[in-house]
Formats: sequence, C-alpha cells, structure tokens
Amino acid sequence: MSLKAATKVSMLLGQCVPCLKQNTSKFKVKRLELDENLLMYFKKDEFVYAHDPENKCKTGDIVLMEQLPQKKTRLVTHAVKEVIYPFGDITDPLTGKKVVAGKYRDHIEAVTKVYGQTKNGFKYDKAPLRGWQENKKDFTHADTYIKYHDDGKDQPYAV
Amino acid sequence: MSAARLILKNVTENPLLRSNLNINNTSLRQYAFKSDLKIKWVRPEKIPCYKPEKSGDLAGVPKLDKSQYQLDFRNSKELETANEHVKKLFSLEFAPKSEVNRLYRKDLCDSIKRHEYDMGSIEVKLTKWTGIIRAWQEAMERFPRNRILKVHLKELIDKRKKHLKYLRRWDYRKFEWLIEKLDIVYKPPPNEFHWITRKDSLRKLTNTYCEDTRNEKLAAFRAVLEAEQPAFLEEKIRTLQFIRDEQQDCGADVTVSQEEIDGVKKQLADLLESRKEEED
Repeated sequence: MSLKAATKVSMLLGQCVPCLKQNTSKFKVKRLELDENLLMYFKKDEFVYAHDPENKCKTGDIVLMEQLPQKKTRLVTHAVKEVIYPFGDITDPLTGKKVVAGKYRDHIEAVTKVYGQTKNGFKYDKAPLRGWQENKKDFTHADTYIKYHDDGKDQPYAV
Repeated sequence: MSAARLILKNVTENPLLRSNLNINNTSLRQYAFKSDLKIKWVRPEKIPCYKPEKSGDLAGVPKLDKSQYQLDFRNSKELETANEHVKKLFSLEFAPKSEVNRLYRKDLCDSIKRHEYDMGSIEVKLTKWTGIIRAWQEAMERFPRNRILKVHLKELIDKRKKHLKYLRRWDYRKFEWLIEKLDIVYKPPPNEFHWITRKDSLRKLTNTYCEDTRNEKLAAFRAVLEAEQPAFLEEKIRTLQFIRDEQQDCGADVTVSQEEIDGVKKQLADLLESRKEEED
C-alpha cells in the first residue's frame, strides 16, 4: 500500500523548520508508512512549502496548512491557515491556560508569590514575545552548518 | 600489411587525425580534474569543545572586588568588631579560588532566581551550571593538560545545552530572557554531521563563487538598463505625442490619451527626482 504524497492532501499539520525563501515557510510533516514485510507503520518525514506572506510562522510552530486551488510555484502547494501551537508558548486546549512543561503557569506564579517574588526574577507579564533575541543570541531561526572555510569574517550560523 | 597497421599508419601520417588524437587525450580525461578557479580554501582551525567560542559563553568570570568577605562570613557579627588584620584574613584576597568562584556563582544565581528560596528551578539550575562552566573554563586555560577536568567540563556544557533545548521547547520567553541575562549564544545543531573535507569545502566555495559571479553580472546589467531608463522614457513621450498629433491631424481614432502621456511624464519626473535624492 503506497502512501498518498503529502502535497496532494487538502489539509496538513506540520512543524515549521528554517527556510530561506521569502514569503514561504517550510514544514516538516510526519506521516506513517506501512512496511509491507513487517506489517508495521514507520515514521516518515515529508517536507512541504507553504505560502506565508505575513511570516507568522516561526521555527518549531505547529501549523495547519490548506492546499491552494492552484500551485503557486513548483514547490509551494499550500498556504498557512492557522498557527495551532506556537513553539514554547503552549495553551492547554481544555482549560485555556498557559502551560510550561507539566505545570500551569498560574500555579508556578502562585507558588512564587507565596515565597515572595524577587525583583530580578523572570516575569511573564513584562517579558516580550518571542523573537527579540533573534540573530543576537538565539540563532534557531536558520539552519546552522559546520564551519568549513576560514575567511576571516564572522560566520554567525557556523557551528 | 595488416589492417591494424594500415590504420595506425594513416593515423600517424594524417595531421588532422593526429590532432584529434591529442584532443581526445586531454579533453576526455575526466578523472582527477582540478578546477583552475583561483579559490583559496583555508581549513578552519580546530577549536576544542570546552572553549567559550564553542560553548557559547560570551562572558567569563568577572574580576570581583577582593576586599569583600568570603561567602560564609558575609553576615558575621564578630567580624564587624574584629581588628583590621582579621577582617583582611576573611576577605576574598586570602581565600582560595574556589571561594571566589562560589561567591560569583551565588551572585549570579541571586540575580536570576524567582524567590528567596529558589534553588531548583530550571533557570537557577542553568545559571549554576553556567557559573561552574565559566570557572572551569578559566581553570582549563591555566591547566590545559587536566584531562579529567576537560571531560567533566564537556559533559557539563552538553548538559546545559540539552536543558536549554528543553527550556526553549517549554517556555520560549523565559529561554530568551535567560540567554540574554547569562550572555549565552544558543545555536541549534546542524542538520547533518560530516567532517570537513577539502573536496566538499571546495565544492561549496565554487558554488558561492558562481553565485556571486552571476549576481555581479546581473547587477551590472541592471545598472546598464537603469542608466538607459530616462532616455527611453523621453523617447516614449516623444513617440506617444507624435502618434497622438498625427492621429488628430488625420482625423483618425485617437488611441493615445493625454493621461497616458502625462503618466509617462510623471514617471520620468519621479525617476529623476529619486535619482537626485540618491545622489544627495
């Protein structure tokens, strides 16, 4: 049984990965492929490009995409519909509260308040949204590579 | 004379065929081909994994005020009334290096923690490790052959990186706040790992060289076209005006409107103005 190609499905859920193209985001779509010999499903990643003129997807976001009635280019077959889970800023779908790992953010803050909040500690209401350290100290928005040439210039994406 | 000999004789005597043979000898050689582009490849120097350049630490252990008391004697009441020499003995000046590092770590954690008794939150853990890493990196500079320390340091750097990765996934805002506070650069691992080879590096460099050449040529062509733009627009105005006048004179249907001509005139004026602004 062969799998229908990801680009031919009308709606897709994928994770955003770094992409250099303008007005376009690249997504990793996880699919399950049947191994006929073992009769078991195995994970298979496919990459889909989606039209994203407002650049609302950031690396790591879980995004719902919709198929375009007409292909934009040879690669761009989908358009971004909705960012479902922004990366590192998860909202619990049942209660609508913000979640950090296994705890509610409210609970963490309540505990902190009981002990007495310090002045320097991290505060959610004052923290800016994701992206203010981009290209300064956080280089996750682009692919890194192993440094292969020493040209004397600064190479921020070289590891 | 056998057929083979005859062919050989022909080949050696006929100058045209001989030259062909030479061409074949050189141009068909596809193995060990060396590019004659003047690209110089410099192999990057290996940076040991424990160095701050690799671990991402932008700041080291700062120089602390040596006259302050050691951590354990900070709030001592006896020291307040002690004499000058005793006070000096309990200052950082006479303390071992580990005490200085401990104090640095404590100060760093104090600037991060959520509440007074915060010892185990992820940000404090990462801060503590950062303090240890920076102190050890200093020690590695002094004792580069300390292999045990090197292993511990590498393991701690990797652990910090792993937990930074987790924090990024759990809470992006805190992650950004923390790396800004601690002066750490976070780079994700590359998608594929392969050691650096001359062949592959030269291939990549050749690709960038070709890309640059292409862009340069395109830019030059663009400049030529842009230089021709005003002259072309003037010509266009003249031609449109001529067509319009002729059509009016001959009484034929006027296909060129005055707005069209004015539009082109405006375009020309805008273009000249923008060029002037650029020059200024």
